[in-house]
Amino acid sequence: MMFPYLFSPLKLGTVEVKNRISFQPHLTNLAVGNLPSERQMYYWGERAKGGAGLIITEEMSVHPTDMSYEKLIDVYHPEVIPGFKKITDYVHQYDAKIFAQLNHNGQQGDGSISRLPVWAPSPMPDVLFRETPKAMEPEDIEEVARYFAKSAIHVREGGFDGIELQFGHSSLARQFLSPLTNFRTDEYGGSLENRMRAPLKFIAAVRKAVGNDCTIGIRMCADEMIPGGLDLGQVQEICARFEASGLIDFMDLSIATFYNLYLVEGSMHTPLGYTIPLAAGIREKIKLPVFCTGRINDPVMAEKVLANGQADMIGMCRGLICDPFLPKKAFEGRMDDIRYCIACNQGCIGRIGMNKLLGCVQNPAVGREKEWGEGTLTKAAVRKKVAVVGGGPGGMWAAKMAGRRGHDVTLFDRNETLGGQVLTAMKGSGRDEFGVIIRNEKDQVDKAGAKVKLGVEVTAEQLLAEKPDVVIVATGSIPKEQPVPGAEGPAIFNVWQVLNNQAELGQNVCLIDYDGHQRATATAEYLAIHGKKVHMITASLFIGAELGPTQDLYLTRQRLLQKGVTFTPDIAVMEVGGEAGAKTIKGFNVYSNAWDEWGPFDSVVLAMGQRVDDALYQSLKGKVQELYRVGDAVAPRKVDMAIWEGHKIGREI
Amino acid sequence: MPYQDLNILVLLRECSDPRPPAKAITRGAGISDRGLRQIANPADLSALEEAIRLKESLGASVTALAIGPERLDDLLRLAASMGADRCIRFWDHGLDGSDAVADARVLARIVHILAPKLLFTGSRLLDRGDDPAPALAAAMEAIPCLAAVTDLRLNKNSVAALRKVDRGGRQEVTAPFPCAVLFEEVAVSRYPTVDAVAAAVRAPVEKWRLADLGLPFWEVGATGAYLTLAEFGVPRLDPVRVVTPDAQLPTFERILSLLSGGIKAREGKLRTGSADELSAGIWQVLQEEGIAP
Repeated sequence: MMFPYLFSPLKLGTVEVKNRISFQPHLTNLAVGNLPSERQMYYWGERAKGGAGLIITEEMSVHPTDMSYEKLIDVYHPEVIPGFKKITDYVHQYDAKIFAQLNHNGQQGDGSISRLPVWAPSPMPDVLFRETPKAMEPEDIEEVARYFAKSAIHVREGGFDGIELQFGHSSLARQFLSPLTNFRTDEYGGSLENRMRAPLKFIAAVRKAVGNDCTIGIRMCADEMIPGGLDLGQVQEICARFEASGLIDFMDLSIATFYNLYLVEGSMHTPLGYTIPLAAGIREKIKLPVFCTGRINDPVMAEKVLANGQADMIGMCRGLICDPFLPKKAFEGRMDDIRYCIACNQGCIGRIGMNKLLGCVQNPAVGREKEWGEGTLTKAAVRKKVAVVGGGPGGMWAAKMAGRRGHDVTLFDRNETLGGQVLTAMKGSGRDEFGVIIRNEKDQVDKAGAKVKLGVEVTAEQLLAEKPDVVIVATGSIPKEQPVPGAEGPAIFNVWQVLNNQAELGQNVCLIDYDGHQRATATAEYLAIHGKKVHMITASLFIGAELGPTQDLYLTRQRLLQKGVTFTPDIAVMEVGGEAGAKTIKGFNVYSNAWDEWGPFDSVVLAMGQRVDDALYQSLKGKVQELYRVGDAVAPRKVDMAIWEGHKIGREI
Repeated sequence: MPYQDLNILVLLRECSDPRPPAKAITRGAGISDRGLRQIANPADLSALEEAIRLKESLGASVTALAIGPERLDDLLRLAASMGADRCIRFWDHGLDGSDAVADARVLARIVHILAPKLLFTGSRLLDRGDDPAPALAAAMEAIPCLAAVTDLRLNKNSVAALRKVDRGGRQEVTAPFPCAVLFEEVAVSRYPTVDAVAAAVRAPVEKWRLADLGLPFWEVGATGAYLTLAEFGVPRLDPVRVVTPDAQLPTFERILSLLSGGIKAREGKLRTGSADELSAGIWQVLQEEGIAP
């Protein structure tokens, strides 16, 4: 047993959880009609099947005034019970426990969805939703407590093993606790005792409703990380008082608020396990089991946290979205088979924040476990000879899936290593973890029985001579050669050339960002680290226009500014002029339409889009029985679509 | 030779190595088992050393015995390298969860089968202290048992042992053959030669199973134990202190301290140059980091 602590049982109140891995609450947007859905049953069930000891559902709304997102479950309606029963029965068959998370988001909500004013302790708008709330009257507080209790009964009747109350980063309870959002002068504001009154009322109401044989825990925000907000010292005191109330059984933790959401869902630039010090800090003060969450994507690290006594339960969220079977693989010592989360945040928080269904760049099956989950892959009826050209993520997934189905697969790649464009992207500053995508799939391609031929620039003739039944073209994309007039010649380079160290750059560099994503910003940072003076020009409102949803924006801009990178937004670049060593950028402001010119720059770096590399596809067209293309070779997009399409075609051929 | 049939059975047990600094957990109620390793119980090695000396002086034959899973073969190979003539390891599935009484049944049965003139082992285990199983086994076989022995002398039909008694006293006792002798950790066990160690790698280890003992399975392991495990809990570990952002610090410094994690930001440096320049550069970095001399 590699992980004795991780796989030791833990008692939470009356419930014994078989191991220390909890699949943490997070939005899925998978509910249908504000009721629990079959998709959620399979989604949570897949993680139970994968070995997580505890599943905590996404937040469920306890009151009509809380409708922050359109696809939340309204747990205060008794109609939820039949759906809950299906979910809990399904999860229980895998020897896992399941808790429901109950929440009222307070001011962190959207009245335009509920068509009701949002409720909060004081009329203080949230930074994200920017809606002035109605200050709750004492009877409103009583009503929310009643609704918490009512919801808890529905949860219990639905077969849940326990309840977690969301008092963390997004919750009415935290707004009562925090001096930043509670300006009340009545018995619910002012002193700590008063600020704790409403949250304690919610807990007491729930405890009274469900009795003593139900596990109840709370999720606390360990540190708001805002000047004047709750800090660890205050939260230690709050947690100790909650513990002393004797009403709760465990303490789950989160960090920050919507003001600094980048700390709630730390992205790739955030260190692994960045919240461990806070969990350890809380655990020093209380005896209740403490959960720790935040980029713990690896059983080795999880074991260390437990062995060090810094937490009692490891909360994994993205790690299990990415690989639901991480616990099982860790238990069996199959570390090579674990698909590690890279915290790219593109598929999970990046989609959820835009009200799309939950996804994962590396796991196309998320939210589609019924069709694509473990055990759904069937052997191919006919064993076909399959050639996959291009060993990027799309090609690797196509080869892996086809190989697992028993096809005779050969994967060709022109490089000496699998990975395709990921090999370049991972060289951007702080993007090294992106390369884990390659590590995750490379072995799996081999294990699926696919033959890999590297360093071969395969031609249509060579392929046809092999007489394959199926050819899958995953040749990717390349940077546009001349995206704008004048963008050619000695001092002009694209992002690829820079990251692959093929660019002889001067000191003074202009980077044209038509990408808005890491391709541009991680390259700008890379240049700045190498001592270049970098100026970025974009047509968007700001540099990093695509980085908001993935929570990369804040820290990326912080790092760029700290490294002296300067920005000019709102500019449509129309021409690159000047001589080498004195290049100029000509363009107009997209709002004022005024033309201007920037420069001179020693060199210009273009992040101005990709074009398909489909020559092979075009020359094979009509000559192969089954010809497909996936990923950027169809249209240049991001890695999630390459994997999605590779996975899909591997399943279908 | 007066003791031509002097056969000695030495029981070897493993214990936790106390030498690595132990980390107390649950406020000193236990120690963390991380970084610990299992070693041969030193008093058992002293017993083995006594047996080997008798082999050398009187021509005794020495059988080393271990009860437990396959990793105990290492103990037996150590015994072989020190001079044991025969090595036996007894184990079978279903033997976990035993207690001292059930252990003693196994040991008594082995003693019965091998019928040694002397059963040697250590008087106590380094990590857990007294192990009643050897004394219980002696009782089951109705042979004398001498504990806390510091010195042993063989007479024609009996042994005379010097043993520790209370208040630091020493007492000489005698007992007839066959008997069990539990040694204090007095004799310094020898350091086997490299050749002996190499030879011991291929030394045969007899593997005895339950069927070889003729014991019914319900008398051994968890089913044969009188003690039952009521509850097993993993102790709540005391936290290893990590640097928590000081609540007195301004917010943005707290964030910085969390995000830096005390580790330098992950930034690579790209260096180009000839092989010589690059190797000199790497050497310089290693020196700066204190890795190279």
